[in-house]
Amino acid sequence: MEKYFQLPWQVPFGAFSLKLDALSLIFLIAVSILVFCAGIYAIGYMRPYKGKQPLGLHIFFYLLLSAALVVIILANNVILFLGAWEMMTISSYFLIVFHDRDSSVRRAGLLFLVASHCGTFLLMMMFFLMAQNSGSMNFDLIHHAGFPGFLAGVVFLLAIIGFGLKAGFLPLHIWLPHAHPASPSHVSAVLSGVMIKMGIYGICRVLWMLGTVPDWCGYLLLLIGVVCGVMGVLYALGQHELKKLLAYHSIENIGIITLGLGLGLLGVNNHLPFLAVLGFGGGLLHVLNHALFKGLLFLGAGAVIQKTHTGQIDEMGGLARVMPLLSLLFLIGSLAICGLPLFNGFISEFMIYFGLFHGLASLPQQGAFACALGIIALALMGALALACFSKVYGTVFLGESRHLKVSQEWGKTSYLMLVPMLVLAGLCLWIGLFPRTMVNLALSSGAYLSHMDLSGLPVGNIYSPLSFIIRGAFIFLILVVFLASCRRWLLQGRCVPVRETWGCGFSKGTPRIQYTSSSFARPIVEFVKVILFFRQKGPEMKGKFPAKTTMSSSVLDASEEYLFKPLFDKLTGFSKNLDIRRIRYTQMYLMYIFLYLMVLLIWKMK
Amino acid sequence: MNNIFLILSHWLIVLVLSPLLIGIIAKVKAFFAGKRGPSFFQPYFDLQKLFQKTPVYSRTTTWVFRGAPIVNLAAVLVLALIVPLGPFKAPLEFGGDILLAAYILGLGRFFMIIASLDTGSSFEGMGASREAFFSCLSELALFMSFITLSLMAHSISLSTMIVSQVPLSWALMGVLMPGTPAWSPVLLLVAASFFIVILAENARIPVDDPDTHLELTMIHEVMVLDHSGVDFGYMLYAAAVKLFVFAGILVPIIFPLQTGNTLVDMLLFLGGILTIGIAVGVVESTMARLRLNRVKDFLLIAFALSFFAFVVKMWRG
Repeated sequence: MEKYFQLPWQVPFGAFSLKLDALSLIFLIAVSILVFCAGIYAIGYMRPYKGKQPLGLHIFFYLLLSAALVVIILANNVILFLGAWEMMTISSYFLIVFHDRDSSVRRAGLLFLVASHCGTFLLMMMFFLMAQNSGSMNFDLIHHAGFPGFLAGVVFLLAIIGFGLKAGFLPLHIWLPHAHPASPSHVSAVLSGVMIKMGIYGICRVLWMLGTVPDWCGYLLLLIGVVCGVMGVLYALGQHELKKLLAYHSIENIGIITLGLGLGLLGVNNHLPFLAVLGFGGGLLHVLNHALFKGLLFLGAGAVIQKTHTGQIDEMGGLARVMPLLSLLFLIGSLAICGLPLFNGFISEFMIYFGLFHGLASLPQQGAFACALGIIALALMGALALACFSKVYGTVFLGESRHLKVSQEWGKTSYLMLVPMLVLAGLCLWIGLFPRTMVNLALSSGAYLSHMDLSGLPVGNIYSPLSFIIRGAFIFLILVVFLASCRRWLLQGRCVPVRETWGCGFSKGTPRIQYTSSSFARPIVEFVKVILFFRQKGPEMKGKFPAKTTMSSSVLDASEEYLFKPLFDKLTGFSKNLDIRRIRYTQMYLMYIFLYLMVLLIWKMK
Repeated sequence: MNNIFLILSHWLIVLVLSPLLIGIIAKVKAFFAGKRGPSFFQPYFDLQKLFQKTPVYSRTTTWVFRGAPIVNLAAVLVLALIVPLGPFKAPLEFGGDILLAAYILGLGRFFMIIASLDTGSSFEGMGASREAFFSCLSELALFMSFITLSLMAHSISLSTMIVSQVPLSWALMGVLMPGTPAWSPVLLLVAASFFIVILAENARIPVDDPDTHLELTMIHEVMVLDHSGVDFGYMLYAAAVKLFVFAGILVPIIFPLQTGNTLVDMLLFLGGILTIGIAVGVVESTMARLRLNRVKDFLLIAFALSFFAFVVKMWRG
C-alpha cells in the first residue's frame, strides 16, 4: 500500500513529493491523535495567559509544528525532508520559549536549538552521501540504488548520531530534560510524544532505504536501546520535578523502541523474517503507545501544575481527594507506561519480549547473548518504571499534602483539558484490551520496513498469545468485579468507622513525616550510585540536640556534568583565546576576505 | 465450557489448599521451637475472623486503599491460572505466558505500593520503598531463570518450561537405576535461584518476617499496617495463594510427575508442595532474618545463580 502525492515546487534538487506507506502510516496516526488532543487541551490550558502573552504567535507555531511533523513523515525527497526538519526545529524552539522571561527557559531553548542544528549538520552529510551514491534525491530511487557495505555502515552511524540527537539517545540527550519541563505542558506532550519520535522515524526511514546493513549495526542499536532504557529510568527515579521526571522517562521509552528496532535488524541480518517483523513491529507499536500514554501523563502533569504552580513532587500530596477524575486519568497513564496488563504498554512490550525470546532460541550464539541481555534489561526497566511511577502517583496524588495548601477550588479543571485526556486514556485502554487492529498495523509496518511480505509469515504465533492475554485481562476484570461485590456484601449494613492513620502510638505526626519521593527512591538510587552520581548536600548532625538544618540530594546527569560541560568549557576557553588575536581594524577583515576569495579563485582556475 | 470448568477447578484447588500450606509452615516452625503450635487449620480460622470483622479506614485514604486488596487478590488468582497444578493443565497456557505472569504480579504490586503510600504513614512508605527496590532485584533473578528454562525447553510457555524438564530428583534415581535420562546440573542452579525468589516474593525469613508487624525492618508486613477486616483478609489470602502457586512452579522442576493417573499425579503434586512448605519452614526455623542492607546481596545471589545457570547452558549447548 503506497500512495503518492506531487505538487510543483521550484527548488533545485527538491520536489514536493509526498508518499504514504505502511511505515509512515503508524507515525502519522500517532502524530495526528496527539497533536489534535494536545491542541484542544491547549485552549483550556492557555486561557490564564490571555491578554498577557502573544497567544496568536504561539498558536501559529503550534500549527506550523504540526504541519512540519506531517511533512517529515510523508516526505519522499531529501530537500523536502530537511526543509520540514528545520521547520520543526524552529517552530518547536519558539514553542519551548513561551515563558521567555525566565532565563532558564531561554537557556533550555538555546540548548535545544544548538543540539538540533548539530544533528541537522550530520543529517545533511548523511543524506548527501546517500544522494551521491544513488544520484538522486528521491527516497525511492535512493533505496533502489543499493549500498556497498562500508558506505551503509557510515550512513548508519551518521543516522544514529544525527537522528539520535533528536530522539534523545544517551549521551546525546542533554537538551531533552531541560526543554521538556521548560515548555508549556501541551507542548511538552507533543515534544515528548511525537517530536522526539521523528528521530526514530528518521532511523527507520534510513534503514528502509539502506535495505541491508552490516551485522554490527543490529547489535549497536540493541545496545543503545539497553543503555538508554536502563539509564533513562534510573535518572527518572532520581528526579524531584514532575515534568523533568517524565522527560527522563521518555529516554527510557526511546530505549525500549530502539531495543525493538535493534532486534528487528538482527532478524533481517540473520534472515529470520518473523523475528524482524516482531522486533520492528513491537518497536513501532511502542512509538504509538508512548505517544498516547506519555501525552496523557504530560497533559495530566500540566493540569496539576496549573493549580499547584510548582512541579516539585516532594511538596505535593493528597491531590486525589480534590481532583478525583484527573488522578484516575494519571493513574491510567502510569499503569500504561509501566507496561502493565490491561493497557497498551504491555502489548508492545510483550511483542518485543516475544521477539527477544524467539531470537534467544533461533539466533547464533552472540545473537542469543544479545537477546538475553535485552530480556534482562527490559525486565529491569519494567521493575524500575513500576517503582518510579508508584512513587510519582503515591506522592503527588495520595497521602497528605506536604507543603502546599490544597484548596477545593483545584477540583475545577476545564473540560477542554479533561476531554482530550479522556480520549487518550480511552485509547490506551482500547489498544490494551482489543489490540488486534493496531498490532496488525504495526506488523505490516514492520514487514514494510524490513522489505518482507507479511502473508508468508507465521503471524498466528503472535496473535494466539495475544488472544490469551486478552482473555486473561477479562478474567482479571471479572475477578475484580466479583471480589469487590463480595467485599460490599461482607460490609453490608455495617457502619465503617473512619479514623486517623495509625501512627504506631505517635499521635503528633504532621504531613511532613511522610515518605517523600526522594526517600522512596533512595534505596535504588544508592544501590546504583556507581553509575548515577548521587549527590547529597547538608551538614553532619552533631551533638545530642542538633540545631535546625537543611539537606538536599540530587542525581546528576553524568553526560551533562562530565562530558558536555567540560567540553563546552574547553570550547569557550579556546574561542576566548582566539579573541585575543582578534584584529581590530575593519580594513584588515576586508583584506582577509579578499585574500580568501583570491585563494578560492586560484584553486578553481587550475 | 470445559475451559470454564478448568478455571474454576484451578481456583478451587488454590483457594482451598493455600491456607493449609501456611498452617504447615507454622507447624514446622513450632516443631523446631519445641512447641505444639497452632492447628494446621488456624489460617482458615484467621481468614474467617477477618472476613467477619468491620474494617477501619484512615481519613487520609482514598478508593486506592480500598481497591488495592481486591486488585492484588485478583492478580494472584490470574497468576494461578498460568501455573499447571499437577494433572490439571494451566487454563491460560500460551507462548509467553511467563510475561503475563510477571506483569500481572506487577499490577498487584503497583496497587499494593500506592495503597501503602495512600495512608500517608511513614512506616508504610518505608515498606513500599523497600518492596519496590527488592522486587527489581527478584524480577532480574526471575527473568534470568526464565531465559535458561526457555532455552532448555525450547518454549516460552511456563507449563512446557517446567513440565518438560528432566526432574531434579531423578539425579537420585540415576544412581540407583542406571539408564534413566540424564539430569542437567543447570536445573539445580535454577531451582536454587527460584527458591530464593520464592522466599523473597512471599515475605518469608530470611528476607522478611511475616510474624512481626511493628519492626522498622519489615517490608511486606509494614505495607499492610493500616489494612483491617475484609481488606486485610484479602491481603492474607492473596499472600497464601501466591506462596502456593510459586511452590507449584517449583514442584515439577524437582519432582517427577507424569504417571498418567490423575489421582496419583495430584497426590505427587501435593506431596511436592508439602515438601517445599516443610523446606520453607526449616529455612525459617534455622536462619535468622537478614539485616536489611544485606537482603539485596541475598537477592543478587539468586541472580548470580540463575546467571551461572544461563552461562553453563550456553556453554554446554
